[in-house]
Amino acid sequence: MNPTVDVQVSRAFAVRPEAVFDAWLDPAWLGRWMFGPGVRAETVLHLRTEPRVGGRFSFLVERQGQRIDHIGTYLEIDRPRRLVFTWAIRGESDDDGSTVAIDLTATPEGCLLSLTHTLPAQWADYAPRTRQGWTTMLDTLHRLF
Amino acid sequence: MVEYSPAQLDSLFHALSDHTRRRMLRSLGGEARSVGELAAPFQISLAAASKHIKVLERAGLVTRTVQGRTHLCRLQPEALAAGQDWLRFYEQFWNERLHALAEALADTPVSPPPASPPARRKTP
Repeated sequence: MNPTVDVQVSRAFAVRPEAVFDAWLDPAWLGRWMFGPGVRAETVLHLRTEPRVGGRFSFLVERQGQRIDHIGTYLEIDRPRRLVFTWAIRGESDDDGSTVAIDLTATPEGCLLSLTHTLPAQWADYAPRTRQGWTTMLDTLHRLF
Repeated sequence: MVEYSPAQLDSLFHALSDHTRRRMLRSLGGEARSVGELAAPFQISLAAASKHIKVLERAGLVTRTVQGRTHLCRLQPEALAAGQDWLRFYEQFWNERLHALAEALADTPVSPPPASPPARRKTP
């Protein structure tokens, strides 16, 4: 079995979970926070989604003359609670088994989003090395597992 | 910049993929411990504990020194740095994206959350 590792982040939103959920699937929304010149120095060539289980997406951008196509397949679509999709860069990591799961919980203020990116460990080929206090590292481990 | 070999990172994440081994690492956070001390919290034999420790040694997370009849294990925290750096990249990526999403949503009038009685927060 290939080793995998989870990266988890979470964030509270002041809007209903439906609004946050839809922002992940609607190309118009994706172009406001995920891709595009408002996000980083890049041009959007296309943002295509096929929001059904088994449907695919392709987010093609150009950065410094280089075309980068973020591709994946929707594995679970349970509006507005849970969205799971595979996540890869075409030509670099097509079948590496990286998946992103988004879980939304309604709160009195809006909702809480919890994102889990499950990565195969072999992606770690080029991680730069720095030395850090071991306490920080073990704290991170607590959070990650 | 020093780069890690895929084999190194594979063995690191393999070592960290087991609950018992992660707990062993945590108990080594403060001080060196004997194999017996590391095995004590678990219902496992010394032989099984030793197997786990070998996996941690292979990943460079633990070194073992022999003092008489006692094998003392020490944490080698710098081995974690490789995994940490790699994970931090993704953590930062998603945190930035979620921040941008929150800002985009705040800029757009959307229907407010349904009215509900204020929830009482449990105090820890």
